[in-house]
Amino acid sequence: MRPVSADPWQALFRPASVAVVGATSLPGTVPYDLFHNLRRDGFPGPVYPVSPRGGAIDGVPAFKYVIDIPDPVDLAVIVFPSSVCDLALEQCGRKGIPAAIVISAGFRENGPAGAQREARLREIAGRYGMLLLGPNCLGLINTDPAVRLNASFARRAPQPGGIGFLSQSGALCTAVLDYAQGRHIGFSSLVSFGNKAGVTEIELLEYLARDPRTRVILLYLEEVTDGRGLMAAARRVVAEEGKPVLALKAGRTRAGAAAASSHTGSLAGSDDVCDAAFRQAGILRCATVGELLDLGVALAGQPVPRGNRVAVITNAGGPGVLVSDRAVRAGLVLASFLPATSAALKKSLPLTASLTNPVDLIGDARVERYRDAVSAVLADPGVDGVLVLLTPQSMTDIPAIAGELCRLAGREKPLYASFMGQSEVAEGAGLLERSGVPQFAQPEAMCDAFAGAWRFGLARRRLQAAPKPEDPKDGAGLPPGASKLLTEDPARGYLPLDRALALLSCFGIPVPRQALARSEAEAVAAARSLGFPVAFKAVSEQITHKSDAGGVRLGIADATEAAAGYRELGRAVARIAGARLDGVLVQAMAQPGLELILGFQRDPSFGTALMAGAGGVWVELLRDVSFRIPPFGQEEARAMLEELSVHPLLAGFRGGPARDIEAVAGCVLAVARLSLACPQFEALDVNPLVVYPRGCLALDARLTRRRT
Amino acid sequence: MDRSEVERRVSAVIRKVLQLPPGEIRPEANFVFDLGADSMQSLQLVAAFEEEFGVELDQEAALAVQTVASAVDFLQANLAR
Repeated sequence: MRPVSADPWQALFRPASVAVVGATSLPGTVPYDLFHNLRRDGFPGPVYPVSPRGGAIDGVPAFKYVIDIPDPVDLAVIVFPSSVCDLALEQCGRKGIPAAIVISAGFRENGPAGAQREARLREIAGRYGMLLLGPNCLGLINTDPAVRLNASFARRAPQPGGIGFLSQSGALCTAVLDYAQGRHIGFSSLVSFGNKAGVTEIELLEYLARDPRTRVILLYLEEVTDGRGLMAAARRVVAEEGKPVLALKAGRTRAGAAAASSHTGSLAGSDDVCDAAFRQAGILRCATVGELLDLGVALAGQPVPRGNRVAVITNAGGPGVLVSDRAVRAGLVLASFLPATSAALKKSLPLTASLTNPVDLIGDARVERYRDAVSAVLADPGVDGVLVLLTPQSMTDIPAIAGELCRLAGREKPLYASFMGQSEVAEGAGLLERSGVPQFAQPEAMCDAFAGAWRFGLARRRLQAAPKPEDPKDGAGLPPGASKLLTEDPARGYLPLDRALALLSCFGIPVPRQALARSEAEAVAAARSLGFPVAFKAVSEQITHKSDAGGVRLGIADATEAAAGYRELGRAVARIAGARLDGVLVQAMAQPGLELILGFQRDPSFGTALMAGAGGVWVELLRDVSFRIPPFGQEEARAMLEELSVHPLLAGFRGGPARDIEAVAGCVLAVARLSLACPQFEALDVNPLVVYPRGCLALDARLTRRRT
Repeated sequence: MDRSEVERRVSAVIRKVLQLPPGEIRPEANFVFDLGADSMQSLQLVAAFEEEFGVELDQEAALAVQTVASAVDFLQANLAR
């Protein structure tokens, strides 16, 4: 008998022996099915049933307690009611079992009493150094033929394959398994991690990254509790192991964002931030289960495309056009063939065939035409991948074509197929699926999957080339002069405008020359000193959006206008219930330019989200924004700006001047530094940041303190 | 009713409902973890206690009782009302 595994991860994924704690003899119940599945699916080691009533389960004598088992046990699977799972886990700890899965529900998801029970499990597992998966989960399946572990109550284990699936929802796992069965999709492991009281998705991700049988990792998440940890782990998996990480994250709604008081807050819905964070970490986010599996299958079975130039081979003109349209819309390019490729196609195809991309083999095409055409385009260095379409016509030898495609596929360039239809193509489609050639009943899904795989390749190259971001330390790196701006009035909700702009300046963001005036005379004197024309801005803690409240006067040309302007601002503020005028900020009038917004907003999952977008007063209307999670470098800052619809205006549009993109990117990085150095602030809007052909200027800023 | 009488009758009910073999039932025994009661048997236990002692029990409170000793305490408190 092998002693227990020294490595608890080995015990969890590759146990030598398993105890089912709380097993019963009643078929159709979770405790019974779990015990039965372990034995039915061929787990090679001993499986011990533990049942307080003793007796035998499936003919195997049960132990009353886990500590009664005379042999070492690697993995305990606990299926007791939640009220006594702690007692069971305590005994597992005393026996020295290195890993446990708690299947039972009735914990954090059931309210405070359940949360207490869950905390107790965490405490016990921690005290004994036990790895704890769950509670409230389906269990774990490892299809490695040497392990054959089905420690779950799924109806059946999937066939072996290269996809590792990690899911917060157990029920979704069972649906995915059934779907996968019909499409011959193989998995390396499938883990339902439930409430993640012990093992988290981050640790599981890192485990599967090291697992040689796992080529692609699929994640289903309902909440992201440690977003920065997840990003760091995914970045390592993608950049260092080269493995794709795909995620389906529930909760794409914007609820809650509308109530935010800053522009950035109202735009930074948690889902937009999650989208940006995933992209930044190289995680491919999928919108549906179908998309998740399609892309998973494609990346597990075929090489990652080196580029986006595809050749389309079809035996039907219409679908060929449909695919071409969709491919282009998905960001792919129809490859132009070299003369040698065109000559090879001409030699092997009939006169009526279309030799340009998409290549139409004509409806009577049999296996020879498919073979010759696919071989020719695969050999073309201008082709990064091949999309093969087949419609089932009377003379189409479908299984033979499928067999030939399996032979040609997956060497250096990816080959995806869409055998369109269902019953007529079933045999050929099955052949492709079993051989790892991605097969899609809908050709549009084929294009989308290829585009997704290409984007993964881009993301991987970007991450491999980028320096590893250092984990920031809150409060570190305040520039000279900044700390004295932060000491006064900590009880105020906002940093006054004059100080906020001064703080931006400390971090290297250019701001206009300015002076704070607390009386009409001071305002006139300040305007004279700065030189007309000037802008007046009301400084009032109670006013969120100054221009909406009439708190801004621009282009004040002389002393008379300055005096009148001061009085007008006073009246405007007085019209707002509860508002108080703290002063008027007098600024040298800036030249017009392209207006952007920069800002940050704290985020419960990812710490801080940085935003750049089209600025001015129509920020919320335009919603032209992009997000990143700091820290990041100059490349990401530039990429943020490139994602904006307004980017062509920055680059110089229809004879307009090119704007100083490098200066803006510098400001983005400065805002990122500020967000990390000043943890006392909840949010920042810099709006507008006016961008000129040379340089830029932050004219307004709102820094909101964190409520404690 | 004195405690030893309640203990004796509680043990008898438990043995009957859970179909346990003759032998000692420890006061600290947990109905689920040590005696193997499933959810249906837990409900049956509450009903059997009500019948045995002629009392009406708060179902939620009764089902929260986990050990034999706590069941004796719970029933004594109800009998005293």
